[in-house]
Amino acid sequence: MKENISIKENSQEPGSRILLELKGVAKSFETTDVLKGLDLKIERNTFVTLLGPSGCGKSTTLRLIAGFEKPDAGNIFFEGKDITGLPPEQREVNTVFQNYALFTHMTVAENIAFGLKIKKYPREYISDRVDYALSLVNLEGYGDRNPGTLSGGQQQRIAIARAIVNEPKILLLDEPLGALDLKLRKSMQIELMKLKEELGITFVYVTHDQEEALTMSDQIVVMNHGMIEQIGSAEDIYNEPKNAYVARFIGEANLKTGRMSSPSVVSIEGVDFPCTDEGFLSGTPVDVMIRPEDVELVDPLAGQICGVVSDIIFKGIFYHITVKTDEYEWKACSTMPTPVGTKVGIHVDPFNIRNMIQGAKEI
Amino acid sequence: MKKTKNSLKKLYIALIFIFLYAPIAVLFVLSVNDSRSRAVWGGFTLKWYRELFADATIMTALKNTLIIAFVAAFFATVLGLLAAIGISAMKKNKAAVYLGAGNIPLINADIVTGITLMLFFSRFSSLGMMSILLSHITFCIPYVLLSVLPALSGIDWHLYEAARDLGATRSMAYRKVIWPELFPSVMGGFFIALTMSMDDFVVTYFTRGAGVDTLSTMIYGELKRGIKPQMFALSSVIFAVVLILLLLVYLLPSDGKIGRPRITEGLSDAVRSVVPFILVVSVVTTLTGCGSIQNPRYGADPEEEATVSDAGSNTITVLNYGEYLDRDLLEDFYDKTGIRVLYDEATTPEEMYTKYKSGAISYDLICTSEYIIKKLMDENELLQIDTGSMENYGNLDPAILAMAQTYDPDNNYSIPYFYGTVGLLYNSSEITGEVDSWDVLFDGSYSGEIIMQNSIRDAYMCALKYLGYSLNDTDREHMLEAQRLLLKQKPDVEAYFVDEVREEMVAGNATIAVCYSGEAYLANEYNEDLTYVVPKEGSNLWIDSWCMTKRCQNPENATAFLDYLCGEEAGMVNFEYVYYPTPNLAVYNALDEEIREDELVFPPQEVLKNCEVYETLPDDVMELYSEMWKELKVY
Repeated sequence: MKENISIKENSQEPGSRILLELKGVAKSFETTDVLKGLDLKIERNTFVTLLGPSGCGKSTTLRLIAGFEKPDAGNIFFEGKDITGLPPEQREVNTVFQNYALFTHMTVAENIAFGLKIKKYPREYISDRVDYALSLVNLEGYGDRNPGTLSGGQQQRIAIARAIVNEPKILLLDEPLGALDLKLRKSMQIELMKLKEELGITFVYVTHDQEEALTMSDQIVVMNHGMIEQIGSAEDIYNEPKNAYVARFIGEANLKTGRMSSPSVVSIEGVDFPCTDEGFLSGTPVDVMIRPEDVELVDPLAGQICGVVSDIIFKGIFYHITVKTDEYEWKACSTMPTPVGTKVGIHVDPFNIRNMIQGAKEI
Repeated sequence: MKKTKNSLKKLYIALIFIFLYAPIAVLFVLSVNDSRSRAVWGGFTLKWYRELFADATIMTALKNTLIIAFVAAFFATVLGLLAAIGISAMKKNKAAVYLGAGNIPLINADIVTGITLMLFFSRFSSLGMMSILLSHITFCIPYVLLSVLPALSGIDWHLYEAARDLGATRSMAYRKVIWPELFPSVMGGFFIALTMSMDDFVVTYFTRGAGVDTLSTMIYGELKRGIKPQMFALSSVIFAVVLILLLLVYLLPSDGKIGRPRITEGLSDAVRSVVPFILVVSVVTTLTGCGSIQNPRYGADPEEEATVSDAGSNTITVLNYGEYLDRDLLEDFYDKTGIRVLYDEATTPEEMYTKYKSGAISYDLICTSEYIIKKLMDENELLQIDTGSMENYGNLDPAILAMAQTYDPDNNYSIPYFYGTVGLLYNSSEITGEVDSWDVLFDGSYSGEIIMQNSIRDAYMCALKYLGYSLNDTDREHMLEAQRLLLKQKPDVEAYFVDEVREEMVAGNATIAVCYSGEAYLANEYNEDLTYVVPKEGSNLWIDSWCMTKRCQNPENATAFLDYLCGEEAGMVNFEYVYYPTPNLAVYNALDEEIREDELVFPPQEVLKNCEVYETLPDDVMELYSEMWKELKVY
């Protein structure tokens, strides 16, 4: 699985488009191998999300980029220079921590000014920059407050302001919205995207929340067990997962095992489904993924396969319907309520069937 | 219903506050009372406050207390912080072991800690200022540890990473982020250590060297002759300072920052604002304190000299009762002879005996009661004093020397210092007729108005004398007769007291008391109705004398000091300071006739003739005494 994947397919442009590169980076803690030879290129001005379950190595990757950890093997390049041994204070990156890590003995303004003061900027410049950073996160006038008196969302914004005021080339965000409630999280997601556009810098964002990743990212890096499963845009990953692991992790999916009957027909439960994916020889066993919204419920006679509705859940704009066939349960989304016990046919358009190599690791 | 409930609540709170603060109010009242007696209101005065700052002894003790407190707290904080850092980095089990070991001084009873440290220092080093300091550092460390450790383990190391991330180097991150997070708890530890050190009596008492006093040991030393009013003033000042500091901490606005509802934040802020001051004080006292410790014997200030116990060639170590010598004489003696006196005080003869026998401090000279001198003689602990070489020995009253032969048959082991009688102190305004006999104690006419001495020999002496026996009588029947008399008298006795006799009488709480003549004189100063008489049946004559221990390294210097005290000049200064009958005839003859004739000061010859000195009794007699005493006190 050690692939050398660049984030954009056509990155044959000048090497300067690559801002950061991890080459064969490995890291273990005591007896656990957290990263097993990671290769990753990150381009300028992109919003990259490292996505995966806890323990997949995404946070460790972030900490390696920040300089809090040293890799056991491999190198990290920043603008072509090897920064593997560089301490955090000398790297042109800044971090937003999951628990905010605000300095409670300082005011909001002192927190934000911390980095600039260390770099010995003039007083007026610092004060202007602090005001600007506060305005970027919509907290004008909060400079004299004590961080401890602010809400979680406000603290998070302060942490972001404290990082971006230093004009890093990369902003690292370690599950920054994890502690916020759903509504706040949604609005912060949008703010973060706006902020990225305004600053024109690279964001590297760590999360285990696939929806967050889909919403914000230009590129998603799906990680599992210290390795990269897939890199691509949100659409790529959603529509064309490389394997069952990615498919399962991103969005809802019907995952079936099948066998290629011919290069453009896959057999599931003994039923042949025409498909458009090519590249598999006849007789190859494959994992097949069909998104619930692509499962059409039709008249039993018109369906490719028949089943009985076993469950229906109202989800607002659609119903989540479970259909039992002989071997499987099929998840489908429909705007039409179909009572439990109804006999229905299932139809899937050929371009909605995704065939994948079998044997990807489970989550 | 609700109303009564509320007023009950208020009453309850009021009672608690009265309970807590009434003693402090009393202290304050005493500090502005223009009388040396606690029982008499002599009008408002601030003179004790003025005298307080002029009193070298108190100022030295205060200085010692502060030096020890700040220096000990400073080092305990540094060591405790380092220990906390070490422990917090350990694995759980190991940390528990180390923390437990570190907390032993905390769990240990003070007295155990004190004795252990005393034994340690007197074995491997010497007792002095340094030994107190080291002891205080020892018992202060756990407090710092307990204060710092939770803060340390609660530190969010993401803060450190955040600081590094924002451009701080390793040391900057520690300085600017981790240290400020830790700081309030470190300061907390420092202040706890400071107060613990200032508070401490027990450990200080055991580990101090001769002549080194802190406020607590000094107050203890004063108990026998009564606490100086200046001490009330000092205590009031200390209380006021603490109160003002506390008020400042709670009330000071926290440098104008808005939105700080929590008191703890305000507190830590205020603490931070006094921190530079504290640090400066701490460092300054550390430096000056160490300076005075390093160079104790040759400083200009003789009080400062007295910071280390060291039986050097030109130093003698002396143990005396509290307030029983004018300390100005020590300086004068040094000026005249070049001999330094390390001057130490104790409250009771028994305490002196224990202090000497423990060997922690090598005393050259001890001034104590006759029965302790006899005991030390019998134990072969004393050196003969070369009285022939003493120029001023001839000043001593032959009559007193003759009485002293009771315990020192050849007058060559002890030099009488002050003497006095035991008699009756009575309130003449409440007694009609003449009091001249012990019978007033036993005839039942002053039931509930009698104070007896709370010591075996003095209590039985009254009865034995009343019955016509010697106070050194060892006849079992006579003793049991005295016992029956005292048992019969007991319902009439208001209390058995030692130190409180004078104040109780001045306050008018009793009509008749068995009392020492010196105390009687002072009581009469405060209340002219109080009259003293030595009953016609006779009484006890006590003599406090100097003796020279066999640990004395330089008997010539010690003898020179005794000779100096026997001189007319020093004797006069001392007499005016102590105001007890002096055996120094040169002093006596130089006094105004009015004083010489004052029976409250000098007992007349015929009274003295009627008195006996306590002999040391055989063990079996003392055993009987103590059994009888037990019966008497329990019954």
